[in-house]
Parts: sequence; structure tokens; C-alpha cells
Amino acid sequence: MAEKFINARGMQCPGPIVQLFKEAQNCAPGDILCIEVTDHGFKKDIAAWCKKTKNELLSLEDDGGVIRARIKKG
Amino acid sequence: MGAKKILIIGGVAAGTKAAAKAARENPGLDIVVLTRDSHVSYAGCGLPYYIGDVIKAERELLVRRPKDFKADFGIEVITDIEATKILPEEKMVLAKDLNTGETRQFAYDKLVLATGASPFIPPLEGTTLGNIKTVRTVQEATAVKNLLSERKVQDAVVVGGGMIGLEVAENLSQRGIKTTVVELAPHILPPYDADIALYVQKYLAEKEITVLAGTAVKSFVDNGQGDVGAVSTGADLLKADLVVLSAGVRPNVELAVDCGILLGPTGAIAVNNKTETNINGIYAVGDCAENVNLITSQAVWYPMGSTANKTGRVAGINLAGTGAEVTVKGVLGTSVLKLFELNIAKTGLSERDARALGYNVETVIVPASDRAHYYPGSRTIVTKLIVDRDSRRVLGGQIFGEGAVDKPIDILVTAISLGATVDQLSGLDLAYAPPFSTALSTTAVAANVMMNKLAGKFTGVGPLDLKEKMDAGAMLVDVRIDKEYFVRKIPGSINIPLRRLQERVDELDREREIILVCKVGLRAYLALLKLKRLGFEKVSILEGGITAYPFETE
Repeated sequence: MAEKFINARGMQCPGPIVQLFKEAQNCAPGDILCIEVTDHGFKKDIAAWCKKTKNELLSLEDDGGVIRARIKKG
Repeated sequence: MGAKKILIIGGVAAGTKAAAKAARENPGLDIVVLTRDSHVSYAGCGLPYYIGDVIKAERELLVRRPKDFKADFGIEVITDIEATKILPEEKMVLAKDLNTGETRQFAYDKLVLATGASPFIPPLEGTTLGNIKTVRTVQEATAVKNLLSERKVQDAVVVGGGMIGLEVAENLSQRGIKTTVVELAPHILPPYDADIALYVQKYLAEKEITVLAGTAVKSFVDNGQGDVGAVSTGADLLKADLVVLSAGVRPNVELAVDCGILLGPTGAIAVNNKTETNINGIYAVGDCAENVNLITSQAVWYPMGSTANKTGRVAGINLAGTGAEVTVKGVLGTSVLKLFELNIAKTGLSERDARALGYNVETVIVPASDRAHYYPGSRTIVTKLIVDRDSRRVLGGQIFGEGAVDKPIDILVTAISLGATVDQLSGLDLAYAPPFSTALSTTAVAANVMMNKLAGKFTGVGPLDLKEKMDAGAMLVDVRIDKEYFVRKIPGSINIPLRRLQERVDELDREREIILVCKVGLRAYLALLKLKRLGFEKVSILEGGITAYPFETE
């Protein structure tokens, strides 16, 4: 099972979500995606994205203004 | 002849401020403060946080004790005593000692009324049941806090969705209590415009606080043991083992009216700009007195701690009589509050007020980043700006978001107070470095968008008017990329990304009004310019974009 890291810090909308769509396409079910973002609006986006794409949001944390999400590809 | 006697009735914010300032200006005064409360000089605005245990102990709320006033200023503070009658001819106040019941007399040369305001108790069945509380004094807040600590509360209803009611609701919710807010007006935060207040309602719903706006409480229902068990709205029966009444306050004016002091049109005590009432030698400050709105020059009543401290200080200087008299210039009704991570602020006239007053109103709703977008911790905040098209003067502003709203609202306060136009607002040399702001601050961006709108470069549709427009045949076109649209969209919209607009232009009907939407408004504006070049005439932008949209998205 692979783990993929995406640095989307400093990207404004729609950068982070575009990166996520792109990388998720190359993942196999069960793979882990970790993405770091400084656009705070991403917090809401990632929850909605996971729900709609049937991927699992393992964790979502705000580390001093850096949003870090860990996602398990469904 | 002895020292000049200053008597002050009321000992929270305005009364103690007047006393302390007068003593500093003129240490020779004989100053006495009477209060019916057993606390003096407490942080009334801190009470919701005390209930929420953000502030742990009662003593943290107490700014100064009576003995501090004596030791620091030589001011005598008498607690648990209620002034019952003013005798202006004799320059005398009668007061009842609430512990002994005896009546005492206090002679004065100058009198200050700082009698404050009291919670409005709606005339409904069941308000005397147990566990129906108001939160105006420290004792009242302690009573609520004790109920929570004893784990006797699972469901709470807050009656009134003003600032205090919402702050109380947040704090109850933070303590794990299922909380419902019932507001009589069509939306919470009644002084705010609906487009802003409805966004806050949506946010509170996400935080699992139920808001029932446009809803009247009909009665309070006994749980069988003399305590409240439920709140009836007619349509619903809301389970509640605690009710907090926060349905506004009324000025305490009985004492003043009884001795011939005149009230103003708002029902609070009428004062001139030196805080003097119609009776020579009697002043009124704080929540019991009226103010003047700086923009309209009309009498207004804003019972706010910030205003109370200002008017108290002016009275203190004028009472001391040691220098030139000072005046209160007027107030804007500025407010700011925090609900969970959302910050909300307002100053000046709302759009609704400005229209009612006959101004030629223009508004914009503009989201922008409070700090450099790449700097960790930056947040989007939304600025609604209200200006007069004729004079171009800024009339008001409302700001919300998870970022800094207090700074931009204070910029607007300053600009409005000095009579600035939107052009002057746009040109302010505001501080910038990435951790603090953006090169063009949220205020400047909002001002620039407003200038574009005044110049006719675009027309906007407010979120409250969107449904009506769509029902009348308008197309809502979302110009974000497909991936953003997939994550969240406004129901009924279609998606044509900005970069594909040219090739897909045939999908748009030139006969219909086209409303463009993106995340904050920039791409919608670019799309509007493009469509206009392509000969489209009826094109506009959804103000505030998806970011400020106050209704459900999907």
C-alpha cells in the first residue's frame, strides 16, 4: 500500500483540489494520500470531496495554520 | 464650605468610569457611588464566557472592589443600596439599604444617573418557573453556571438571538448542552443586514446550534416540579431544562421620570452632548441615556459597554469642573462578536437603515484574504460595504469570517467618523507584511470593487435576490473549474469554467439574464467582461460568490 504526499501549501483555490483529483487518479484503493494546504477553505472542501468521491477522510488537522488531511483511497 | 459633593447612582461601567475620571481630574471632590448590586465595576460583557468556563472564577470578572475605589481614588462605593427618590429642589437622593431596610439621605451638588438597563422579560405564561434565567449580573450568571456544574442541564433554549444571546448559546454549546436559539425578528442579529445574519445562522447550524428565527415563544411549560421543562412556540415544544432570556434590555428610567427628567424619542434619558439632562446639575450616562448617531444626527439608544465608558468619562471631566468642558461627538453603533471560530462586526448604517433614511444606497459584498494567502493561518473574510452614491461617502460596513475582522471594522469606523468617501477609503496607506495583511487589504479591495460598481463596470445581484431572479428566468452560471463545482455548488446553477467560456458561449441564452458566480467574485468579473465583449447585455455577478452565500449549497 503506497503513501503519497502532496504539498499544496501556498496554492489558492482551485489549486489544492485540482492536485488532489490528479493524484487520487493514480492511487489504488487502500492507498493513503496526505495533503498539506494553507488555504483554510480547503477544510470544508476536503470533507465534501471525500463524501462525494467515497474516499475516507482519516484525519484533518490544523497545525499552526497548515491544514493537513490524510485520505484513504476508496 | 466643604468639598463639592458628587453623587453617582449606578456602579457598573459608566458610573464607576465617571467617578474615577472625576476623582483623577479633581482629587478634592467628595464622590459617593450607590449601587443596588452587591458587585461594583464588573465585566458585564464577560458573563457569557464565565458561564462557558472560559473565565473560571467570579473574582476574575470584578475589575475593582469597593475598597479599591476608596484606597485608589478616595471614592466611597456603597453596595446593596437602592436609590428610591431624587429631590432636585433639595439636591437630595433618598435610598433604601437593601440589608437593613432603612432609608438614608444623600445630599449632592451634582448627580449622575448611571442606572443602566434591565433585561426585558417577555409577558408570557411561565416566566416565573425555576431555571428561567437572565444574565445581566454576576449573581445571575453564577446561578446559570452552578446549574451547569451540577450537570442538571442537557437542553437549553436561549430566547433572543442578539449578541449576548448568541454568545451565551455558544458557551452553553461548548459545554456540551444541546442549544436552541429562538428569535422573534426574521433573522438573528437584528441590527445586521439579512444577507450577513443568514450566513451566521448557517454557520451556527453547522455548529449544531438550532436557530428558530421569525419565531415567537408562546409559553414556558412546567416540568411538574416548578422548573421549566419545555418552551412552546405554538408549532413546536422545545425540550429545555434551562432557559436564558436574552430578549433585549430596557433603560432604567423610573427614578429619572419620577423627578421630572425628560426622556428622548428612544425611551432612554435625553441628554445633551455634555451628558447633561434637562435638570441643571443632573447628568445621565451609560445604558440609561440616549446617544446621537454620528451619521444621521438622530437620537439613538445603543446600550453598549464601549459607549458607557465613553459617556462616563465625558461626564467625569465635566463634573470635575477643573478645565474646559468636553462633549460626546456621537456613536456609530459599532459591534463585534465571536461565535466559535467566526468573527462578526458591524459599524454605521446597515443597508436596510440607509435605504429607510432615503440615501441613494449602493452595496458590495467582497470576500478577500485577511493575510497573504500563502502565509499559514490566513483566512478569508467577507466585507459588505454600504455607501451613498451621491456623496460617495461610506455609510456602513459589516464584516465576517474566521480571520481578523476587528481591524478592518475599526478602519471603517475611523473612515466613517471622519466623513471619508469610498475613494479616500481605497487610498489609505494601510500597514502590510504577509503575517498581518495583504498588499491590498480587504478594506481596500472592498473599496475598489465598490468604485468599479459605482463606475458602472458591473452590476451585482445580492444573494437574497437570487432566487427571485432565477424564478423569473435568470441563468446562474458558475465559472469555477469543474472540480470546484463538483465539490460544492448553488442548486440550479450550471457550470462553464471561465477558460472555456468562449468555446461554450452558445450554451448561454442572450435573451435571459445571466448571473455569474465564482468563489469570491474575481473570475465572475472576468467572465462578465468577456461576455460583454461578446455582446451580452443582461449580465451580472452574484455578490460575495459561493464564499458569502448564506443558503444551502449542494
